[in-house]
Amino acid sequence: MKRRPHDVLPSVAAHSVLLLGALVMLLPFVWMLVTSIRPPHEIFEGSLLPWPQEFYGWGHYEAALLNVPLIRFMVNGVLICSGILIVQILVAVPAAYALAKLHFFGKDALWIGTLAALSVPIQVTALPIYIALATAGWLNTYFAIMLPFFLSVFAIFLLRQAFKTFPDEIIHAARLDGMGEFEIIWRIVLPSYQSTLTAFCIFSVVAHWNDLYWPMIVISETKLAPPPLGMMFFANAESGSDYGALMAGATLLTMPLVLIFLVTRKHFIEGLTMSGK
Amino acid sequence: MLALRTSTRQSLAGLLLSLPSGALLVSLYVAPMLCLLLLAFTNYEMGNVDIEWIGFSNFSRVLNDVVFKRSLWNTLLYVLIVVPLSVGGGMFIALLIHARRRTRSFYEVVYFLPVTSTLIAMATVWQFLLHPKLGPINSMLSWVGMSSQNFLGDPTLMIATLAGIGVWQLIGFNMILFLTGLSNIPKELYEAAAIDGVNHPVDRFFSVTLPMLGPTTLFVLVTSTITGFKVFDTVAVLTQGRNQSEVLLYDIYLEGFTYSNMGYASVLTLIFLLIIVGLSAWQSMHMDKKVHYG
Amino acid sequence: MKLFRKIGLALSASVALFAASHAQAQQVTSIDVLYCYPSFARFHEPLAQEFMKLHPEIKINFRAPAASYDEGHQVMLRNAVTNQLPDVYYSGYHLFGELIRKLEARGQTVRLEPLLKAEGDAFAKTNFAPRLIALGQVDAKQYGLPFNASSPIMYVNGDLVKRAGADPTKMPTDWDGVIKLAGKIHAMNKDINGMSYDIHAWPDDWMFQGLIYQQGGVLVKPGTKKAGFDGAVGLRTLQLTRRFVTEGAMQMVDWDQSRQQFGAGKTGMFFSTPAQLKQVTEAVGGRFNFTTARFPLDNKAKGGVPTGGNAVITLAKDPAKQKAAWEFIKFVTSPQAQKVVVEMTGYLPTNQLAISPEYLGPFYEANPNFRTATTQIDKSLPWAGYPGGQSVRIWRAQRDVVGAVMRGEKTPEAALPELIKITEDLME
Repeated sequence: MKRRPHDVLPSVAAHSVLLLGALVMLLPFVWMLVTSIRPPHEIFEGSLLPWPQEFYGWGHYEAALLNVPLIRFMVNGVLICSGILIVQILVAVPAAYALAKLHFFGKDALWIGTLAALSVPIQVTALPIYIALATAGWLNTYFAIMLPFFLSVFAIFLLRQAFKTFPDEIIHAARLDGMGEFEIIWRIVLPSYQSTLTAFCIFSVVAHWNDLYWPMIVISETKLAPPPLGMMFFANAESGSDYGALMAGATLLTMPLVLIFLVTRKHFIEGLTMSGK
Repeated sequence: MLALRTSTRQSLAGLLLSLPSGALLVSLYVAPMLCLLLLAFTNYEMGNVDIEWIGFSNFSRVLNDVVFKRSLWNTLLYVLIVVPLSVGGGMFIALLIHARRRTRSFYEVVYFLPVTSTLIAMATVWQFLLHPKLGPINSMLSWVGMSSQNFLGDPTLMIATLAGIGVWQLIGFNMILFLTGLSNIPKELYEAAAIDGVNHPVDRFFSVTLPMLGPTTLFVLVTSTITGFKVFDTVAVLTQGRNQSEVLLYDIYLEGFTYSNMGYASVLTLIFLLIIVGLSAWQSMHMDKKVHYG
Repeated sequence: MKLFRKIGLALSASVALFAASHAQAQQVTSIDVLYCYPSFARFHEPLAQEFMKLHPEIKINFRAPAASYDEGHQVMLRNAVTNQLPDVYYSGYHLFGELIRKLEARGQTVRLEPLLKAEGDAFAKTNFAPRLIALGQVDAKQYGLPFNASSPIMYVNGDLVKRAGADPTKMPTDWDGVIKLAGKIHAMNKDINGMSYDIHAWPDDWMFQGLIYQQGGVLVKPGTKKAGFDGAVGLRTLQLTRRFVTEGAMQMVDWDQSRQQFGAGKTGMFFSTPAQLKQVTEAVGGRFNFTTARFPLDNKAKGGVPTGGNAVITLAKDPAKQKAAWEFIKFVTSPQAQKVVVEMTGYLPTNQLAISPEYLGPFYEANPNFRTATTQIDKSLPWAGYPGGQSVRIWRAQRDVVGAVMRGEKTPEAALPELIKITEDLME
């Protein structure tokens, strides 16, 4: 179908805006990449020329991978993020459904509690949880790193908003068919919200992959450390950071996240084939 | 089971389904908060052997705390910049991208990238980009005839700069949420509207899209506001609260961890939570009534 | 009978074998070590490897390093509460007193006097200059040995200095001279900052103490809770900071940006810790003639420089672990180990034997920039703290005032009483 003139203009306008925004989004990453292949003395020269005057090769990437067990940290990241995500989904989906579709004693309390907990940052609850873990002797374990995040109030909120739009009639019909609530959740309701669930998975993985604050409090052995700890080895305020290796490490750490995003994006952004419900 | 009334069955199901989250809520949030409440009345310092009950002294101290008031003001300013820009911007970008076909995945990745950034490395990048002498942003300002700005050093600019970085980090996140919301709007609604004579894109937006995005918008608004109030990482890494750029969570961190005044920090935390919880509760309930759940 | 005999022999043999291997295993003592700044793994790890080769019966186990001195301090306090202190810790000097006092109250500290005495009377004197070993003391009691030390020095862009008509090998030795030279450098090229003295951005009051000490002043009047920098010393300190900006053409950026700028060749004189020498040298590359000079002292007789860095302490109460920890501490403060540290960073060696030709001599010959800090050892003063343990909070409040003076928002005369009041109010 031939594009009509008044279709093209909005398209050009839209692209201009998007491209301008894209430049702003990308600028820091461009510098990050460029720095990771530059020799140390060129890094702050003040030019954004992508081509360094001296090709430094993969030196910084070697430093990032070899001076620090970066691969190990990434494996830890995978373990920690998967563990957190699985429990988050198992806990949040039923709760969100209950809050959206059922009436029960304590529902309001749970909803208010959930909203309130959304405001509570980890810095606030860190110390009591730390002391509890220390008393139980569970510090310095993957469990300790994952524990505070098992409850994702964000997920409950997100899914509750989504589930509320599900037609009650379908649920009634399913109940009449003899289905239990549990079955209804996982087989009837949730599949309609694949996009929302996948979006949440991305968010959860990205957030916990980059998490540093809490892990640093509960682990004392480097072999359990998540990926950002690897970056700390190159960022040193006392003696000046090793910027090249820092950027190389950061690039390596960001790549898996981008890959995951690219692979899963179809599942939560359906494009023009909107299946609706 | 069948012998019970349907509503009782539902109630029971509701309870069971929310049991895990309820238990975690109590152990991970309620219990620590109670500890905090108790600590607020003491003079406990981390590492001390003794601890004394001092009643309301910590509370009255807040009234004279210049740094706390400053951080409250700074945080409000930060939120006022970040929320409209990241929510409105997120929606706008999502609408534009949603209509693209071949370039869609490219734009999605590009706008999502900032969400994936590791702050430790990004901090250095921002320091360079915003450098008054070495950074490209100031170079660009000089092309248009403006003088070089000390983004991370000038007290009048610091919060705005941090807010800019905050928008940069958040807009892609909100965009994803809006894209998800958009994909959940049934095509039939647009067709029905077209039959009613609603053809112009702007009309379609206001009569179909915006209302159907209601739940999503509410969600994005509340979470962005909360994220805004919880700003901490960028301040800790880029300014360390220098030149009067403290924000609420950073002040709490200073008091509780750097100065070890856990008792006083607990009071500040309670005030902080009161503000956010109050604000988001108000937002949710106010808008929940207006939101069309379909 | 024969069967029983065989079984009996087999049993006793295996018991003996078991006992032997068990005894062997028991002889390996493992100690936990915690340090700050993960990037310092680059010398902590090799030192530990070297140590374990010399002492196969001791295993060094590094805990995840803390992000900074401040974070390390918090980790230690948490560990004190949950009774999980490491056996060895490296504490920043400015937090050292506070840490030791808190741990002392809980009975978790270990005094080094008996251990030092067991090494013989000459040990301490031969290895450590009096000013440096004092860094490991709190209230005149020896709790640690100095591991890293640094005193502020001047990083010089020789090319810019020459262009301004001065001699890079004869840098000014007082502050009026520095400011004048900085002004000249800026006059040659408006794009260049004459100097930078990042007191407004420094996370602790090291640079502030620097300006006070170099005039011969003190931070706190001894035995009192009164600020020692009232009067002429305080006034001149504030006036200097303002003149850095007005006459010295200094721009107030944060300390990372400042260091990056010097490396890019856009600052004439940059004042900082020698610990950054290695990184700055790499950042400069061959871009300009990079030299270092001593910290200017207005008061040549009484002026001194504050000493930054960290002391290594042990918290081990178990006799075997304490012995192992002490061996480790002796090793890392030995001339060989200090040589390794200095070559990788630019820190001052805390063992005076390390400066001799046998160890760092050739390195200093080849890298004269690194030697500058050693010429200031006789002027080194401890990094003081305020009574009352609120040093960090005091500095943050002071820094705001100093920043305001530097930006011209307050005059030094008006700001000084405010500075003194803030300090004294928080000292109780």
